[in-house]
Amino acid sequence: MSFLELKDITKSYGTLNAVSDVTLSVEKGEFVSLLGPSGCGKTTTLQMIAGFVEPTSGTIRLDGRDITHAKANSRGLGIVFQSYALFPHMTVFDNVSFGLEMQRVPKSDRRPRVEEALELVHLAAYAGRYPRELSGGQRQRVALARAIVIRPPVLLLDEPLSNLDAKLREAMQFELRDIQRKVGTTTVMVTHDQAEAFSISDRVVVMESGRITQIDQPYRIYEHPETEFISRFVGKTNLLPGTVQAVNDRAATVSLGGVPVEIDAGALVRGDTVTLCIRPEKLRLTGTGLGRLPGRVAERYFLGSQWLYHIDGPLGTLMAVTPNDGSAPLDTGEPVGLDWTPSVVRVHRGRLAEAPDPTLEAH
Amino acid sequence: MTRNGPIALIFHSLVVLFMLAPLAIVCLVAFTPENTLSLPTRGLSLRWFEAVFRHPDFVQSFWNSLWLALLSATLAVVLAVPAALAITRWEFRGRGFLNALFLSPLIIPHLVLGVAMLRLFALVGATGSFGWLVAAHIVIVTPYVMRLLIAAITGFDRSVEQAAYSLGASEATVFRRVTLPMILPGVTGGWLIAFINSFDELTMSIFITSPSTVTLPVRMYMYATESIDPMMAAVSAIIVGITAVAVLLLDRVYGLDRILVGQH
Repeated sequence: MSFLELKDITKSYGTLNAVSDVTLSVEKGEFVSLLGPSGCGKTTTLQMIAGFVEPTSGTIRLDGRDITHAKANSRGLGIVFQSYALFPHMTVFDNVSFGLEMQRVPKSDRRPRVEEALELVHLAAYAGRYPRELSGGQRQRVALARAIVIRPPVLLLDEPLSNLDAKLREAMQFELRDIQRKVGTTTVMVTHDQAEAFSISDRVVVMESGRITQIDQPYRIYEHPETEFISRFVGKTNLLPGTVQAVNDRAATVSLGGVPVEIDAGALVRGDTVTLCIRPEKLRLTGTGLGRLPGRVAERYFLGSQWLYHIDGPLGTLMAVTPNDGSAPLDTGEPVGLDWTPSVVRVHRGRLAEAPDPTLEAH
Repeated sequence: MTRNGPIALIFHSLVVLFMLAPLAIVCLVAFTPENTLSLPTRGLSLRWFEAVFRHPDFVQSFWNSLWLALLSATLAVVLAVPAALAITRWEFRGRGFLNALFLSPLIIPHLVLGVAMLRLFALVGATGSFGWLVAAHIVIVTPYVMRLLIAAITGFDRSVEQAAYSLGASEATVFRRVTLPMILPGVTGGWLIAFINSFDELTMSIFITSPSTVTLPVRMYMYATESIDPMMAAVSAIIVGITAVAVLLLDRVYGLDRILVGQH
């Protein structure tokens, strides 16, 4: 049996379901992220685990114990809020000590535990400061220390890094993971940032409109997105609507607006409506006349470690990413060939529901 | 902070002068050795202060006013804290009505309130009761407390309370250890403004004080309608002194800008 279990959790507000039938098992020591756009129900799910929101139906079990209707202050979970939510009128030491005091830990035991927690987040020298005297990153760490000092069975992180600037956010991602490994606390994090979710989670739970659409390891979610929504939300992708023209033992031919493209067969039958999904970095740019499709560079963007090209061709505009290996990039207007390995093409059944919404793409 | 230009500086100085000059003059006049209201040109004297303390009516009224202001400000805060929390945080039937009710004394002239209270006191047989006087003062000072508290609570990040709660604190503990300290600028500021408003309220109190509950402003008014002598200036100086001490103390303990701006 899993350590933390959510079974058929639903939360309705009137006729609106904020969260529908969420079932999730988290193993002891695991780091799981709930990933999705705003309004997908990830925060509501976290709040139900925390006990701030009561599920309309379903059960939550922690270490075999049913906590579905337990009060938040009896669950003993550690929570780090997006706004840090430090007590502004207390020093860093008192902030961290608060939870121990509530647990009636004797005063003599509190000091070493607070100091140990502050040591862990590299803030031992700041015990006497007030939150307003700290930077965003430091406040974030105090919030983390305050949550882990009570040795919670589960640590809940609500968009913990979204208020930090890009550079600090990246550094804190690794630090967060490092601390989580050291302490070994089972962790559930909510985030809308796929890079954040991917880099530090054991498993990622993608949510969409109150439902879980995929639970998998970060690599698998990126490479094998189960829905077209996920492939758009997670990373950049080229989505190509088409129809299956011919199927043989090993391969299928899909017509993309009259252009035939060969893919691995899967369980397709002739006449199926499908959407092909090719990641930009899986497209290879070859010399003119080579490859599977001809194209022409419409735009190019320098991303530092990579070049992002928009290539005009018979399938419309495709995105292609090549590593910046030091060689001269292609010029705008230059003709190229596009090539890829059939196995990198993912197939989703059905047509695109709507045109890809750029705001849903990763940041 | 932007620096003021010379014209703005002169303007601000004139405004401050215009506001402070009457107070300064009154306080100076209080030290006159003469029998008439005049500036102390021929030496200083404390005779008029002595006269105040020898005047049993004034001493009695001073204590009346002090107790009245302390009680009404404190009770108004006790009443307003839960009311402001409820109004700002919860949606419930009659919320808008309650909010308007608490703030309505601001728009009712004190004269009208005085007449209404006089009638009410007569009806319930409370004429001359100090308790009912306190109740009447609570009515007029509560809006000030409510205004400051609502401002303090509106910007409050609820997740701070959730954090305390998740760490195992009971609801009462969260209120005592987290909510109250965080809205303390609003509470203290509200209390102070309530105290000052009650302490120098005249118009309504004229109607509802009885000989044993006459407040200091009412006593001064009654005295001044009969005769004007430097004792009035001495009483004024004492009131100015008490208020100034209260404000300075609060600034020392808490910081006036924090109360007036509402920062943490």
